[in-house]
Amino acid sequence: MGLICRRTKIRIDYSLCGDSVDPRSCRRCLSVCAPAVFQLHQSFGVEEANVFDPQSWRITPLWPSLCNRCLKCVEACPNGAIHVSG
Amino acid sequence: MKHGAGGKWYLNARHYSEEIAAKYNLREFLLEQYKNFEQIPVRRVAGVSPAGLGYKLRIPIIGRLIKRTAERLLASNRAPKNPFRPEGHIGQVVPLEDAIAILEHCAAEPIIQKNCMCRYMSRGEKEACCINFGVMSEIIDRLPRFIPEKEKYHLSRREAIDRFKEHNRKGYIGTIWFGPFPYINNLCSCATPECAGIRPRLDFGIHSIYKAEYVAVLDSRCCSGCMECVAACQFGAIQPEPRDGGVRIIPYRCFGCGVCRHVCSTQALSLLPRDEIPALRGSY
Repeated sequence: MGLICRRTKIRIDYSLCGDSVDPRSCRRCLSVCAPAVFQLHQSFGVEEANVFDPQSWRITPLWPSLCNRCLKCVEACPNGAIHVSG
Repeated sequence: MKHGAGGKWYLNARHYSEEIAAKYNLREFLLEQYKNFEQIPVRRVAGVSPAGLGYKLRIPIIGRLIKRTAERLLASNRAPKNPFRPEGHIGQVVPLEDAIAILEHCAAEPIIQKNCMCRYMSRGEKEACCINFGVMSEIIDRLPRFIPEKEKYHLSRREAIDRFKEHNRKGYIGTIWFGPFPYINNLCSCATPECAGIRPRLDFGIHSIYKAEYVAVLDSRCCSGCMECVAACQFGAIQPEPRDGGVRIIPYRCFGCGVCRHVCSTQALSLLPRDEIPALRGSY
């Protein structure tokens, strides 16, 4: 698919954000991103009782095609978990 | 009345009725859906993950198939089965006047306001700007994370109208949603690019929301050229016109939300029914 168009790859290292840190406590990447590429969401298979379990939330770069590569998210992330390439 | 076929389907009180809610067993369906609401945007639909959708849609043939599948799912008229899919969840832009008519005459009691989950999930902010009716209100009662902490939660009709007016004046787009077809339970005040319902249409061309029954028109004699409306239009439908120092409206981009009227100090902007403009008739 790389042949068809140039793609922006956004990776989040979940060992730095998500597993150890609750993404809901920071949310800086969400607020700095002008095209709102990131999505804060609940991971799968979670019962209602666990909704507030920090282990079960993730931030996913859901719409990388809309990224304008300003790299503000990389600067804003206090854990250095975001990598943008491509 | 069919959605997207014009004719203000949202002013038909039947779509708000208890009868429909009971017939499709929506209490159970919506509870299941809203319990797991924050994982629905990242779930696979027909085996396709929404992550990187923009790139997937650019693939020849496959991209077109994905788009068609998504549109068919959203505009589905069949009885909803799977609460993990946005089946029959389609909306239309409504201007302030129609929203007031809905709240006054159609919306089923109880009326509540809840936190906008689109904005929470893509911006990390909780803002109470979705107005819900009927069965939906009963379900939100059981899910505390949707309930606004500071503001009033249960609203009277009058309070709901005032609240909606406030959002509309702030520049949020009024939208009415089937959730799922044929039950109407959501009157939202949306902003781009956060809104998960407007985003597929604006960014990916998937018809997830229809344009309003209206379109904005400009009386250029009154326009003072302040450009406030250019900034207020979330669809980029108003552009500066260098020839006369005023603005012009690009009709096919206009969704007819009417938000531009609130910032115009000279009343140069107004809404005209879409049907009255031959080139735009039926183009939702």
